[in-house]
Amino acid sequence: MAGKEATVYILDLGRSMGEKRHGRDQTDLEWALEYVWDKITTTVATGRKSALMSVIGYRTDKTDLGGIMEEAEGYENIRVFSKLKQYFLGDIRNLQEHLKPSKTNNGDLLSALAVAIHMIDSATKGTKGNPLKYERRIIIVTDGRGEMDTADLDEMASKIKDPEAPFEIVLPGVDFDDPDVGYKEDGKEPHKAKNEYVLKRFVEDCGGNFGTLATAIDQLQTPRLKETRPVHSYRGPLTLGDPENYEATITIDVERYPCTMLAKPPTASSFVVRTDLAGVSDPSTESSATAFGEDHPMMDLSAVRNQRVYQVESIEEPGTKKNVEMDELERGYEYGRTAVHISESDMNVVKLETWQSLQLVGFVKAEKFERYLPLSRANFIVPQKANQPAQLGLSSFIHALEDAECYAVARFVAKDLKPPLLLLLVPRIEPEWEALVDVELPFEEDMRRYKFPPLDRKLTVSGKTITEHKDLPTSDLLDAMSDYVDAMDLSTFGRDEDGNEQEYAKPEDTFSPLVHRINDVIRWRATHPDPTLPIPDPAEILMKYSAPPPELMSQASQQLDAVKKAADVKKVPPKVKGRGKRQRTDRDKPLSGLDVDALLGNPKRVKIESSNLIPSFKQALLAADDIDAIQEAADDMAKEIRSLISNSVGDSAYGRALEAIRVMREELTELEEPETYNSFVKTLKDDVLSGKLNGNRRDMWWRIRGNRYGLVDSKRSAFSPVTEEEAKRFYHV
Amino acid sequence: MADVQDNRPGEEEEEEEEEVDDSSYKTIKDAVLFAIDVSPSMLEKPPKSEDKKAEHDSPTSAALKCAYQLMQQRIISNPNDMMGILLFGTEKTDLQDGDSTFQHCYLLADLDVPSAQDVKRLRDLVNNEEDTEGILKPAKEGASIATVLFCANTIFTTKAPNFSSRRLFLVTDNDYPVKLKADKDTAVTRARDLYDLGCTIDLFPISQPDHSFDRSRFYDDLVYPTSPSDPDAPVAIPTTTNVAKSGEGISLLKQLISSINSKATPRRALFTLPLELGPDLRIGVKGYILIKRQEHVKSCYVWVGGEKPQIVNSSTTHMADDTARTVEKTELRKAYKFGGDAITFTPDEITKIRQCFGDPVIRIVGFKPRSSLPIWTNTNKSTFLYPSEADYIGSTRVFSALQQKLTTSHKIGLVWFIARRNAAPILAALLPGTEQTNEVGDQTMPPGFWLVPLPFADDLRQFPAPPEHPLQTTDALRDKMKIIIEQLQLPKAVYDPSKYPNPDLQWFYRILQALALDEDIPDQPPTDKTVPRFRLIDKRCAEYIEDYGAEFTMALDKQRHSALAHRAKHVSQKRAGGAAAEAEHRKPAKRVKKEVNVKDEEGGAETMTDQRMADLNNSGQISKQTVADLRLWLGARGQSTGGKKAELLERVQGYLEEKGL
Repeated sequence: MAGKEATVYILDLGRSMGEKRHGRDQTDLEWALEYVWDKITTTVATGRKSALMSVIGYRTDKTDLGGIMEEAEGYENIRVFSKLKQYFLGDIRNLQEHLKPSKTNNGDLLSALAVAIHMIDSATKGTKGNPLKYERRIIIVTDGRGEMDTADLDEMASKIKDPEAPFEIVLPGVDFDDPDVGYKEDGKEPHKAKNEYVLKRFVEDCGGNFGTLATAIDQLQTPRLKETRPVHSYRGPLTLGDPENYEATITIDVERYPCTMLAKPPTASSFVVRTDLAGVSDPSTESSATAFGEDHPMMDLSAVRNQRVYQVESIEEPGTKKNVEMDELERGYEYGRTAVHISESDMNVVKLETWQSLQLVGFVKAEKFERYLPLSRANFIVPQKANQPAQLGLSSFIHALEDAECYAVARFVAKDLKPPLLLLLVPRIEPEWEALVDVELPFEEDMRRYKFPPLDRKLTVSGKTITEHKDLPTSDLLDAMSDYVDAMDLSTFGRDEDGNEQEYAKPEDTFSPLVHRINDVIRWRATHPDPTLPIPDPAEILMKYSAPPPELMSQASQQLDAVKKAADVKKVPPKVKGRGKRQRTDRDKPLSGLDVDALLGNPKRVKIESSNLIPSFKQALLAADDIDAIQEAADDMAKEIRSLISNSVGDSAYGRALEAIRVMREELTELEEPETYNSFVKTLKDDVLSGKLNGNRRDMWWRIRGNRYGLVDSKRSAFSPVTEEEAKRFYHV
Repeated sequence: MADVQDNRPGEEEEEEEEEVDDSSYKTIKDAVLFAIDVSPSMLEKPPKSEDKKAEHDSPTSAALKCAYQLMQQRIISNPNDMMGILLFGTEKTDLQDGDSTFQHCYLLADLDVPSAQDVKRLRDLVNNEEDTEGILKPAKEGASIATVLFCANTIFTTKAPNFSSRRLFLVTDNDYPVKLKADKDTAVTRARDLYDLGCTIDLFPISQPDHSFDRSRFYDDLVYPTSPSDPDAPVAIPTTTNVAKSGEGISLLKQLISSINSKATPRRALFTLPLELGPDLRIGVKGYILIKRQEHVKSCYVWVGGEKPQIVNSSTTHMADDTARTVEKTELRKAYKFGGDAITFTPDEITKIRQCFGDPVIRIVGFKPRSSLPIWTNTNKSTFLYPSEADYIGSTRVFSALQQKLTTSHKIGLVWFIARRNAAPILAALLPGTEQTNEVGDQTMPPGFWLVPLPFADDLRQFPAPPEHPLQTTDALRDKMKIIIEQLQLPKAVYDPSKYPNPDLQWFYRILQALALDEDIPDQPPTDKTVPRFRLIDKRCAEYIEDYGAEFTMALDKQRHSALAHRAKHVSQKRAGGAAAEAEHRKPAKRVKKEVNVKDEEGGAETMTDQRMADLNNSGQISKQTVADLRLWLGARGQSTGGKKAELLERVQGYLEEKGL
């Protein structure tokens, strides 16, 4: 999107910048750097090679022009920190060392500006001395307290305004007066006032941007949006009818561009802390370094490689697996559990033959269309560029849809051999432009037909309809809800720039919290490498829409109270959720309500049967009325689990054992006897790992661990003495 | 060594990265065992009839056809789920393992992910009128229902031990399958064992013409109202269970398919969350995915080194790139690339960064009119919400009140939505959905709320730069188009997904099935219902399209006329040029090629004439010219030939305009 750019930051590092003023707890320089670091890290984060930058300090202790100017006279107390180049993390860290207030107030801003102009000028010239296409920008941050030699100001301004190679000047000054935002510094020194006046006239003469630092920092709060060049996903005809076989058909040449597209936060890659920090000449360390460019090897992290192992079920020994070689593998598909092998050359047989097209299928009434049906992001459909018949044709179609209050349904094939989709085409007419917007529609297979009971009436088992029930709202609740919803209306709650009423939280005013959060902390960490610093909270604007606007909420508090009263919602205390010591009468009953236990004569003891393991275990626990009976049931269960593992051919019975372990863990936790389970699983772990259960059963342990069927900790059950940490450690071998 | 996770997700899932939003949804595996009664009355065929609509199937055969259809369907929609078919009451006893404990039970297909052979065997049985294997022969004394239930218990325990959803589909016409009270008691205990095991019994009763099935006689003591795998799920409505009547109305098969289809996939909640209506007012809701793009299976590796091709499982281990040391998952660190280097955070910091937005919740920010949810704001599929009383008593009535209010006032809620810990917060619209039913009164869309995700400013793409002065429709032209639109309304003017099977998916599985069963590959794709009905379009609209075409030509000519001053010459020449004006609206796409070819016909001239370029410009085909051609043309006229295509086009148009063309 963006072209080449060259930016120079001119920073005032004079002694006066080290002061804290106007009740701020930062020095002026620290405050100014907030702005500068934000700008610099934003550029670095793009990773663009064509974004060159440099930083020049003035009123510095040392003088170092980096060979930019031939003569050093008149350029004292100016320090060039780097040539114009792409900045990296290392440059940022390096710069941080140097951006400290100096011990001097000597040094001329305008000399520094001359250096910056010269620097950009020579770096953005072609071989013949012609200016290249660059965005030239100079950003000046100063407190305006230095001395300035204004003799050649006009000359400089004309250079800056050179139409062949114009510069953009941005000057956010520390506590500069800015009538635009109504800021005026109290007790300003006359010398500063004079400098401000000179700079303001100069910057405005150059067509630059002059303001006060506070405003600039304020503006940083609004997240910046990444612009993406529109790329079309379809370019071809939109047709009504079949032009191949019929006389009367309509064809409009269109293009399709993205309308919405979810922005993704930057993704992290996996690394592992290096264990060999020995030799730098080791060839393997170089290969890890290449992941990040050879100039900047990472110090202590190594890239992670994934190694895949391929296995098939062994036919000779059921229940075991054998490794197979990559060169014996070919492409195929699973049809149920049958492998269907298709050679590479035949892969196209499963593809439906289609041709690129966008064909109208029919039309639907807009008001009858269910808004929840579309399942994709949206696209624009516009006429092909510079195609007047297409413009006229599509315009008539858009307006006809709008006028008829209809949407179109169309069959869409993006490219030959791509699967067909059904799209909904919706007219969108804006003051400046018009287009069709398309979204994907579901097919029959995409709908899950789950049934849910009605919400406005209740059906009894016998088929009667009831209108009064605890699950149905009373008229009081309905009225209270209606008032509350009306009171919380957002359609006019927002304000535009001029303070006029408008819709609150329109999509264009909301920012993706996670995308900006991650970008923000990455940039923050770039300038705050100290690992002991706490991660800052998310920016306020990212949380703005996480709750109702307080002002509106307070206006509606009465209505909310009315809803609360009429609703009488009660939170279920967490204790009730677990069943605790269960009563037989609480048991789930069949539809008829039959008491099955009574049918069986309410037995006092139920024996655990291996052929009916889980049900008999549950029933035994239910029948148990003392701790001994619970222990006995658990012991019997444990015996069965161990015998399942011991007798398993390969891993054939591991699944059953696991399910039994799960049920045991769950039931004993619910009965508030987690220790009974914990002691079982501790012994089991030892026996499995030490081979006491008829051979190598380590795979069984991996499964117990994978399913997290380890110790029940105190977080899960208040009756467990096991800490979370201990439970975590249990999974280590 | 990688951890092996079974089908049941563990309780500690916090560590998992949120990547695919419904990954947890997929891991819920389902096992269905179809138990079909084989008795003389179930096998009785309806009287022969000439009437096509009349019943053709015996109840058992209809049930088998259902099972066959469900099996094929599940291979597509739930490729990892298991299915088995158990016939009971058969003379033969066979459980495919030599055991004969379960008398008169015949396992037609073992409970497993179906294989091609299972499909074939079932199809042969369904299609062959003659029962070649003699399976469908009833035993004299029938099977004991207790045996059937215990048999199912054993099958579920051994074949699908840790499936979180296990269901027994019982198809029978016998509403009192025992003789003695003691037998009933055994059956009742066996049914409860199944319930304790975590299995559900779904009864599909069939009424005979002379006897309507009475659930209360026997089965209400066996069937439980809640599902053990999802006890909080709203209770299915028992009254809607269809009692299929053979020999009248909709065919038995159709009824059975419809009631089985509604249970084809087990209902599982995607999340359980508080819905916050205001400070200190929360209710419980569950989220369900009701609409989701069904993709076909991805290609996989197949091992061809053995006798038969075999499916390959792969597992991944992480290795440090520098030392080739195997790395445990806990050792991994996340790092972001920044400025040619890596910015790292500790796992704790990553957690803090991601979870700084608060706990998972659906929080109402306020309400807006329904019109503030235009279709262009769509970014993804919607999630269905239904109340749950598990955490807050009274949730259902509050939910209902809100749903009724928003429906009648045509409003939506704006909500802040965090689906899970670690999930990215989004803004979404809370859109009320009303219950919809079909002609028979069966629910086709449930009542509740839809959570429609909204875009952030970051998700909005710029509109591609519109042309300077695009042609705009005339009212007359718009009205001609409107007539066509009105003529071509879909039935009832609504889009009904059930009318459009996915043609690609259907074709893919048809081919795959043929390959799996070693059969001939069909050369004709099945009817693709998404293809427009061209004949109908022509029949209904040919005349109106002609009208539109005529109006279009007029409007186009007129607008071009007014757009540029000196046009008369061009129009007349164009007519002379042979391209009949009337045809223009029909096949511009084809005409393009012709026109481009004209360049050659003009022979000698190195570049096309100004007039030709002007014509191309006016017909909108100028952008089809290649950059090389444009450069040549401009160069020949002493114009600059640098820049991008758009700049070249601008220059060409500028040149033409100067010349008054």
